[in-house]
Amino acid sequence: MATKSFSEPVEESVSKVNNEVEVGEDLDFQRKWWRFENVVWAVFTLIIVLDLCGVFGRGPVAKAERRTADGTIDVKYERIERTDSPSILTVRLGQPAIVHGQIKLYISQSLVQGLGTQRIIPAPQATEIGNGGLTYTFLATKPPASVDLALQPSGPGLYEFTIGVVGAQPVHAKVFVVP
Amino acid sequence: MAAVVRAFLGYFFLVFIVRIVGRRPGKQMTPFEFVLIFFIGGLALTAMVGDEVSFTNAICQIITIGFAHYTLAWARTKSQRLARVVDGTPLILLEHKAWRTHTLRHMRISDNDVMASARDSGLKTLGQVDRAVLERNGEISISPMQATPRKA
Repeated sequence: MATKSFSEPVEESVSKVNNEVEVGEDLDFQRKWWRFENVVWAVFTLIIVLDLCGVFGRGPVAKAERRTADGTIDVKYERIERTDSPSILTVRLGQPAIVHGQIKLYISQSLVQGLGTQRIIPAPQATEIGNGGLTYTFLATKPPASVDLALQPSGPGLYEFTIGVVGAQPVHAKVFVVP
Repeated sequence: MAAVVRAFLGYFFLVFIVRIVGRRPGKQMTPFEFVLIFFIGGLALTAMVGDEVSFTNAICQIITIGFAHYTLAWARTKSQRLARVVDGTPLILLEHKAWRTHTLRHMRISDNDVMASARDSGLKTLGQVDRAVLERNGEISISPMQATPRKA
């Protein structure tokens, strides 16, 4: 059985100028595109400047610090984090934080789950769970003393955390994690 | 699922970036453009894959990119407007012994680039070029001057 051939005769479908196939240049469209490109380059420049400033994390604007009025703790963190990127949250502890040679530091669950605490430096002597978070016990002598939390957020979003010494005023802060 | 969405968005973002950066990649690719292509590719790969290095993820992302590419290619054939946005239109760089300086400046192309294409077509001087066109694929096509017949 003969098969049907799918073919059509060639027609001069492309317009011609001076008996030559037209180039197909569209300068009106191209001028509009060049104007659009200029806008895009301005946006790109703005993004680079904002990134250098730290608006998308990892820069001066992203760094933040919160301390309690009584000087128990001073928390240095990044208010803008990046997904899957490591960072350090540092808790400096003052003299009122040390009770009977120990520091009991409470961190909310959001620091572990949302902001992805990977490690605590130094390793605590004991960990208790409860009150919507974890309470770590560290042996301490006298200030200056600090505890570092290695964070690595697993997903974007706005996270609120609480951190404080048991029996003292805590610090509340918000962290925005960009994708 | 997020990996597939990342691959889909990443594909369209790269198409957009390459379109904005210019139409030079292609036959006119110089070492300086190689750096751009490989660097963008490497950075995109980091963001697309993330920490999901499984074989399943690779297969799903490759299929997603293939699907996105097929969709865009199909849509280009259906819409003339989309085809112009995605590919641009051919642009005349030199015609009747006159440079289109505005086009050259905007497309970041120098007369040396045109001369390189002219040499590729076997021409020795720009005076032998009738028309130079920057094609949609970034190639510069050269039409040589027609030889005028000698009078007897």
